[in-house]
Amino acid sequence: MIWKRSLLLFLLTITGLSFETSVLGRATLVGTKPELLLLMVVALAMGEGPAFGATAGFVMGLSTDLVLQLPAGVSALTFTLIGYVVGRVRAQVQTRSAWLPMAMVSIATFVGVLFYAGFNEILGEHFSGLSVLRAAGLSAAYNGLLTPFVFPIVRALGARLRPPSPEVLN
Amino acid sequence: MFDRSRRVRLLLIVLIVVSLAIITIDYRSKGHSPFERIGHVALTILSPIQHGLVTIFRPVGNFFAGFTEVPSLRARVSALQRLNAELRAGQNTITDIERENASLRALLGLRDRYNLNTLPAQVIGVSPSNFERTVFIDRGSRAGVRKDMPVIAGDGLVGRVIRVGPTTSEILLLIDRTSAVASRIAPSGQTGLLEGDGSDVPRLEMFNPDARVGVGDRVVTSGYDKGLYPPGIPIGTVVSAPPAQSNLSRVVKIQPYVDFSSLDYVLLVIGQSAPAPTPTATRTASP
Repeated sequence: MIWKRSLLLFLLTITGLSFETSVLGRATLVGTKPELLLLMVVALAMGEGPAFGATAGFVMGLSTDLVLQLPAGVSALTFTLIGYVVGRVRAQVQTRSAWLPMAMVSIATFVGVLFYAGFNEILGEHFSGLSVLRAAGLSAAYNGLLTPFVFPIVRALGARLRPPSPEVLN
Repeated sequence: MFDRSRRVRLLLIVLIVVSLAIITIDYRSKGHSPFERIGHVALTILSPIQHGLVTIFRPVGNFFAGFTEVPSLRARVSALQRLNAELRAGQNTITDIERENASLRALLGLRDRYNLNTLPAQVIGVSPSNFERTVFIDRGSRAGVRKDMPVIAGDGLVGRVIRVGPTTSEILLLIDRTSAVASRIAPSGQTGLLEGDGSDVPRLEMFNPDARVGVGDRVVTSGYDKGLYPPGIPIGTVVSAPPAQSNLSRVVKIQPYVDFSSLDYVLLVIGQSAPAPTPTATRTASP
């Protein structure tokens, strides 16, 4: 089952990255692109728990780093932490509200973009505060809008290959 | 339960440590990072998929781009209307006719005017980051692409090549915050450094704070970047020219001629003279 999940992660990463760099890269919301891979990480973390969330975050984040000119590893670190935290928070939240995924995705994207920009600042990359806030807010909104279309697919794929163990949500 | 929790935490710590190790290695080996080579492989794997997706979804993407950018399109329409009114008002003066003539020749015949030897390429992707302004093209080292090659479109300067893989390359757009282009105000000849700031309107820092610069002045490359950009390539027009804030510098804002959100085809400048064309280098007219 592990190899099937690894294959799923690989295929989701390639698909997400391809869409992010081609179609969604042009279909911007007031000049801002969505964070599709981060959305996928949140979906997997909410369905499969913090361990798989963190692993998916690391793989997808590192893949993003490889196509960027910005310091490698920062997306991997950001997505790993987001995957872990979302998985932990989801385990504590009992509600089954349909708005929960949208809220989780938007909040995680906002925090993730801020963390990413902040960590890059430490490494000597300078962004204006306004552009960071704008990117964080708009990509969070964009990811929220994409959630109804992407979230169910990713979550269903994750659930289909879930190992037969009750431990996955912990 | 305790063991399981501990295992998850241990996994998290391992992933964080590995991420930090990658950051450290990449930070310490600026320019020679091993991850850059892996990045080439990743881009090579992605390029056929990007190519296919761009071909299939370009109309959809353009529709959404137009739909979601109505405010910026409105601003663009009003700017164009203003420009149109200005052109109509002054169309009878010889100076304006000459300037318009020069502008059209520059915009429509860049290659012929500057004897540029170019290689055409299609834009197949853009950077997934909101903090980076780069695009990916479908030509790499196998087609003769080299690092630092200038890139133009029919309207003017696009940027330069910063990463070359076997079949794909990455172009740094002149609006990226790490881009710098030695530029010249066409009417006055005053020079400055055009620096991207991540927005669509880069800043031009004039070397002479007393330089005469007016809104609407054309900006072209000066050719001072150790020969990186050929001189005279159109860049854009001055849209804001506030007075100097200090005695040391004066900063004006430039609206590039190129619409970076809808780049489809570009030309890589191989050389400025016109040597015999190589098998991979074809001379193509600017659109």
